[in-house]
Amino acid sequence: MFIAQVVCYAQPIGTYLGDERFMYAETKQVNQFFRRFNSEEDLSGKRLDAKSREFKNPEFRRKYIPMLFDNETGKIEEALKKDFIQDVTRKDQPKLLDFYGKDWFAEVKASFRYKGKVETVILFLSLEQEALGHKWVISNVYFKHFADLFFNEKDMAGKFIHPMSHELDFMNLIKVFRDGKNLEYYFDNEYKPDFRTLFLYEVKKGDLVFEAVDDVSFHFFQLDNWYFELTEFNRHTANSGWLISNLTKIPENQKDLLLKYIYYEK
Amino acid sequence: MLKNKITLASIVLLLVSGTAWAQDEVSPERKQAIDSLALEKVRDLSKYISIIGSKETPFSEANRVIERALELFMEGSQMGVSSINRKRVNYYGIKEYFERLMALNYDRVNIEWYNINYISDLVRQPDGKYVGVITIYQRFTGESDDGLKYVDVTKKDITVYVERKQTQIGGRIIGFWDVLLGDIRVTETRKG
Amino acid sequence: MLARKILFALLIAAVSMGTFSCKSQKKISKKEAAAAEARKIAKAKADLEAILADDGKMKLEEKEQKLQVIKDMNIEDAEVQELIARVETVLRREREAQIAAERAERLRREREERLAREREEVTRPKGLSNYFDEIATASSTSDANAKIREALALFSNDDVPVLIIISKQGGIVDYDRPTTIKKYLEYLKDVKKNLNTVENVVYDNNGKIKELELIRK
Repeated sequence: MFIAQVVCYAQPIGTYLGDERFMYAETKQVNQFFRRFNSEEDLSGKRLDAKSREFKNPEFRRKYIPMLFDNETGKIEEALKKDFIQDVTRKDQPKLLDFYGKDWFAEVKASFRYKGKVETVILFLSLEQEALGHKWVISNVYFKHFADLFFNEKDMAGKFIHPMSHELDFMNLIKVFRDGKNLEYYFDNEYKPDFRTLFLYEVKKGDLVFEAVDDVSFHFFQLDNWYFELTEFNRHTANSGWLISNLTKIPENQKDLLLKYIYYEK
Repeated sequence: MLKNKITLASIVLLLVSGTAWAQDEVSPERKQAIDSLALEKVRDLSKYISIIGSKETPFSEANRVIERALELFMEGSQMGVSSINRKRVNYYGIKEYFERLMALNYDRVNIEWYNINYISDLVRQPDGKYVGVITIYQRFTGESDDGLKYVDVTKKDITVYVERKQTQIGGRIIGFWDVLLGDIRVTETRKG
Repeated sequence: MLARKILFALLIAAVSMGTFSCKSQKKISKKEAAAAEARKIAKAKADLEAILADDGKMKLEEKEQKLQVIKDMNIEDAEVQELIARVETVLRREREAQIAAERAERLRREREERLAREREEVTRPKGLSNYFDEIATASSTSDANAKIREALALFSNDDVPVLIIISKQGGIVDYDRPTTIKKYLEYLKDVKKNLNTVENVVYDNNGKIKELELIRK
């Protein structure tokens, strides 16, 4: 339905109408994903007047949102999609996306040169308010070489400093540091390695050098009881651009687990 | 003493610019005019690119147009280019991009711009400037006399910075929107 | 005292009635007539000399009128006749000078009006806009460059500021970044479109444009 309407709006130019049809339908920017999801723009991509009937209209949203899914790889079950659309377009409590709101962030796969080889570092970025406006900030980092350094020993037996060590002036620390690879097991239970600091250290030392961005996706935890992932599909069809590539119905109190998984935490 | 004066002057300046920014309420009609202005700059860029890429443009004229085109950009702007087969971005300076365009070894270069564009919302950054992205599509055709033909269609996401500025002309204070283009992300959407 | 007044009145009556009434003339004695003639001559001489001595206090028309009155008296006196001839020459020259001055003034006015008209033609948005259109639709670069040179001649210099109004909403005027006339004309040549019309023009003392304000069509 949405596509059909979009096609009607396409203005033919020369012989490239085929291309244009897809370009109109394509969700060209993440910004457009927000506006289409909320029904804040018309079919030609123009901002809707906040007083117009179409603006944030649940019926319109029920028509648009199905087109905002990746419908070609068949990864998302139809029933789940239906459930999602019904829930976010409820007349009494519609769920809308807020660009400036919390609980959505970007995952950027970037290439860095590390010890002579090109390696992938994953940067997580989120929007933060500052002074007169907003900015993206690096809120988390994942690098396999950092992860490999920590808590990889399956056998934890004997990896502690016994409780009477103090009586011997902690002379047994010599054994602890001999086992330097597993030093983290001798830290307190709260200890969590901070990859951001390690990352900063390596970059500042000049051992990690940025090369290029390879891939970007977005994780949305903003809608109550739902998680979805947004990915760009660069393909020559109407179902292209920034689309929902992953959808999970998840209770609010379990979102932390999913977040840990996304952050590659163990 | 002098230092004190300077600090005071900068505080006054800050206050003045602060109040200017406090007038955040830009009406939808004015926003529309700013959108159109930004889109016009992108269209201008497309014209410049066509002139620079055309073999018929004399060298001196092409250089003049490159200068003009560079004036559209914020200093240090880059092109990030990726292809269908290679998602990874290659970076070029804007000037470098224009110079490569001028030096292309095709006998005929044709750059068409699709009549489709998308203008994002303008979002304010910490320094008070507004930033948006305009998306356009371009079809490039390069032909050699020996019959070789290269065609590609690219999507271009162009950063647009919008800043409210003031200047004095003929004794009058003129409030204007300074629109500058920034980084451009070029994604190949298909080979022709 | 009263007697003198009556005498004076009679005198005036005699002078004024002299030319019209033959009967009364006869009543005036020859002696009286001679005295009156002498006074007439003296008066004419005085008037003519006053005209000759005038340094611009009297209007030319007034002087010509006085001369005419004296001439109409047909005074047969050599001195008066000579004075009349001199006055006629002086007044004729003065008249010629005045005509020349008036003609010069008329020409000046006409030239000014023509200049004003020409200037108005430039001021009128259409005149300058024509150049804009011609540059934007020029058939070749050299054609466009020639038009740019022509148009630039209307301006004080190449760097005359050009302001472009992009919106006028609720008393707020929004402009694009100011540019210069040369850059603007070259811009028209490059992008081949003319989106703006003339809103306001400011001239310098030489009638050249020193500031230009445009507005989105």
